[in-house]
Amino acid sequence: MAKMHLEIVTPERVMFSEDVDMIEAQGTLGEFGILPGHVTFLTTIEPGEVRIFNDGQARFLSTGGGFAEVVNDKVTLLLSSGESPEEIDVARAYRAKERAEEALRDLGFEDRDYRLLELALFRAIARIGVASRKRL
Amino acid sequence: MATLRDVRRKIGSIQSTQTITRTMRMVSASKLRRAQEQLDKIKGYALNLDELLKRVAARLPEGSHPLLTPREEVRNVLLFPIASDRGLSGAFNLNISTRVDNFIRENKQTYDKIGVYLVGRKIRDYLRKRRIQTTKELMDIKTISDDLVQGIAGDLINLYLEGEFDRIYLIYTQFKSPIKQEVIFEEFIPVKVPQTEETIDYLYEPGKEEIIERLVPHYVSTKIFYALTQSQTSEHAARMAAMENATSNCGEMINYLTLVYNKTRQESITAEMMDIVGGAEALQGE
Repeated sequence: MAKMHLEIVTPERVMFSEDVDMIEAQGTLGEFGILPGHVTFLTTIEPGEVRIFNDGQARFLSTGGGFAEVVNDKVTLLLSSGESPEEIDVARAYRAKERAEEALRDLGFEDRDYRLLELALFRAIARIGVASRKRL
Repeated sequence: MATLRDVRRKIGSIQSTQTITRTMRMVSASKLRRAQEQLDKIKGYALNLDELLKRVAARLPEGSHPLLTPREEVRNVLLFPIASDRGLSGAFNLNISTRVDNFIRENKQTYDKIGVYLVGRKIRDYLRKRRIQTTKELMDIKTISDDLVQGIAGDLINLYLEGEFDRIYLIYTQFKSPIKQEVIFEEFIPVKVPQTEETIDYLYEPGKEEIIERLVPHYVSTKIFYALTQSQTSEHAARMAAMENATSNCGEMINYLTLVYNKTRQESITAEMMDIVGGAEALQGE
């Protein structure tokens, strides 16, 4: 079966550079999947989970958001952060989630920090979600 | 003429200076290695983002994003130089400072106002001595954190969008190799995108505007992060080279002084011998 090349780049490192079968991620307009032969495509990625499928194996990453670009079966994900389940500190993610929830409760929508805290909350939830994949 | 004791004291003092410079060289070497690792990491990301922006923005109609649109009339410009807090790093800080100083002197008549948004205590002192007004001064940057970068990016973007400045220049030292660093003086905001023929028609999701809206500020902050990392790496490299030089200069000085010391010692012995011989001959003559 045809494959496509996936490269995941974060400010920390080049996380991933391999041929894969399918990629799923959280776009701004909802979840999307990319299969080989996809049209040239550019989208923003929201904090959440990135799923990579290859030879019947699935791998999961949590991300803090970024950009996805597909050109000629070459997929580039530029992410602000990316972690595999093994790297996630679940206790820390829970603490971050609680902190963000606590702070959000007292803020209104129009507050300047609201969006930032919301993003932090989403990141924490994504981490917790991905970390729980480990045991599947 | 220097006495024996003077020379010996001088040698001792230079030796202890040499110990210090040698240690500083080693400290810088290890810091350089760490900085270089960080630089390598961010480099891949920054270059990728640069490419992406080029591909996306090349096809944009003019005026689609304020940060991409050059203003017709440029009256106020802002310089954003990145230097360091500490000296003993050769010409590292001076290179940046003189570039800024020269630009201001040469273009005083061209622009209504030239602002300076600087990073580093050394360049602040340099400009203060020359009575050059600054817009904002950032110092004591130990680690380049996300918050710091976001803060600077927000400041610069606001200064531009609110019309305070019509163009922003970025001045930093690029790390080429441990022995070569180069001062980069470039237009930063508005972001310049080369118009290329070779472009890709993307399917945009959500829309092109929304993506540009997010991509451009992200590009600006990544560039700042990148420039700060480049500058820090260069600083360590420059200090290492400077300390290497200082150490070898100390060595030369010690060699020379040891020669002087031996010569002086020999002279005094010879003089003493002459005395004794002279005295003995005088006694024999009686």
